Amino acid sequence: MSGIGPVEPGEDTYQHPAAPAAGATPSRVRHVVPARHRRKAVLAAVATLATGVGVYAVNAPEPPPAPPPPWPSQVVGFAYAGASPDDGHAGAFTFGVSISTEPGRRVTVDAITQPSAALAVSTEPSAPFTVPAGKSRDVTVTVYVLDCGEVPRNSGLPFLEVTLRNERAVQKQSRILGGGYPEDLGAAIGRACADPAP
Amino acid sequence: MRHRSLFIVTTAVTVGALTLSACGSRDDSSEGGGGGKTTVVIGLDAPLTGDLSALGQGIKNSADLAVKTANKNNEVEGVTFKLESLDDVAQAATGQQNATKLVGNQDVMGVVGPLNSDVGQAMQKVFANDNLVQVSPANTNPEMTQGKDWQTGKKVRGFDTYFRTATTDAIQGPYAAQFMFNEKKLKNVYVIDDKKTYGAGLAATFSTEFKKLGGKVVGTDHINPDDKDFSSVASKVAQTKADFVYYGGEYPAGAPLASQIKNAGAKIPTVGGDALFSAEYIKLGKKNSEGDFASSVGAPLETLDTAKKFIADYSAGGYDGAFEAYGGYSYDSTWAIIQAVKAVVEKNDGKLPSDVKDARKQITEAMQDVKFDGVTGTVGFDEYGDTINKQLSLYEVKGGKHVPVKTGVFEG
Repeated sequence: MSGIGPVEPGEDTYQHPAAPAAGATPSRVRHVVPARHRRKAVLAAVATLATGVGVYAVNAPEPPPAPPPPWPSQVVGFAYAGASPDDGHAGAFTFGVSISTEPGRRVTVDAITQPSAALAVSTEPSAPFTVPAGKSRDVTVTVYVLDCGEVPRNSGLPFLEVTLRNERAVQKQSRILGGGYPEDLGAAIGRACADPAP
Repeated sequence: MRHRSLFIVTTAVTVGALTLSACGSRDDSSEGGGGGKTTVVIGLDAPLTGDLSALGQGIKNSADLAVKTANKNNEVEGVTFKLESLDDVAQAATGQQNATKLVGNQDVMGVVGPLNSDVGQAMQKVFANDNLVQVSPANTNPEMTQGKDWQTGKKVRGFDTYFRTATTDAIQGPYAAQFMFNEKKLKNVYVIDDKKTYGAGLAATFSTEFKKLGGKVVGTDHINPDDKDFSSVASKVAQTKADFVYYGGEYPAGAPLASQIKNAGAKIPTVGGDALFSAEYIKLGKKNSEGDFASSVGAPLETLDTAKKFIADYSAGGYDGAFEAYGGYSYDSTWAIIQAVKAVVEKNDGKLPSDVKDARKQITEAMQDVKFDGVTGTVGFDEYGDTINKQLSLYEVKGGKHVPVKTGVFEG
């Protein structure tokens, strides 16, 4: 006897039909359950199911709340896109910045500044502007030299101060551009201050 | 008969309810038990005793958490990870001995650590000779990845086996210089370092940028980091017109130095790097540490959603001591090794290559392509083995805590 097999029948309370006559074609035996028992069985099953579902609903862990969107600084990138060939402004340095966002994460740039009191910044488009989700936006930045006596001539780590906003938070953060930005800015300041605008 | 039916219904309902309830709270806490599994040892080297042990223990505990998490989740099919931790007591010679010991253990497939850059430099060649991958959560000296001429733009990677999840002093020092000069409007600094690879390097990157900005270094000094009495240096600082002190070094000396400078009459802030970013700095300096600044690698963990689970799991882990400045980076370093092992196992039909040298070589090669969302943000490595996540923050001691005052991202 195998340990694995159908559960063997035991005693029950049903009335069994008479055994088929010898030689007759074997047929599947149909147990007729009295209506009273059927109702009880159905009621028991329904009660079991309903109570079980109820208990499960009470005990099941609540689905975790949707995670908050990431902080704006975590989903945005800034890339130096090079100096503009002719900025058209005496004593100024114009360059491009490509601002990109991750898919599904829109970010608004509320402000772009820089930390030195001897410099000022304007942007096109002017802030605030929004970078759509999963897209990049080209921004033109112009840095004006206000005070040649105070301006850092060859800073190794100049950066932009940006204020970023999304549905999660407003964050102020430094974006330290690479890709030749320090050298280009230093050279432009050198030119502006060697030959200051009249 | 009726009572019997009710009993059956009640029993069925109870059994069903218990079954469903049990499913909802099932705790699958099976740890990798090893049965038929390969054991991969991840080595760890950090100062587990001595003055810097708070940082070292945070590194060790966080690596331990990563290993336990990987085993619990069966992160790499057929592999059980084990952590072997060695104490370098912040000494380069000890670190080198530990590196030799780890290389000699045929089960070690990667190493996390160390904390100190000079210790790391002593270990790099030992690991490189045997193709054993190393991921430091805390070394910040730029030379370690980009070569000694990195400042001239001639960047040369010295060791293909060396990676790090912490960003470098090439950014940290200058960022602090910009902050103090432009935002705090402080133009005169007294620069002190401890003559070690990390401290002297950091002080140099700070000074270079501060002078470029137009700031003035009104005095310089070196200290012995094993000393506790800095009164002569403190008196010298007090006699200058320094607006602040920049200290390149670690908190065991940095905290009493800063405190004694204030006691000498110079009520000026001390600013330093990530090795001052420890609760121990505040504990040692007490009220005199108020108003001091420290830069540190990475964004404040509370602004990273990826860090929340780590913080909760670390707390639940019942570890002695905090995860400190490098805990998140240590977890990510360990996880990077686990992911590299996983990549090699998957590439080799579910097993590590039987030849140890071949396995180590393949894991080192796989590390270059590892990328995942870690505790500290995106974890991955550039062509020099440096982290691609180049965030940093400045903290001020306020009310007995390090409070973030500025964060930045290096986009280069």
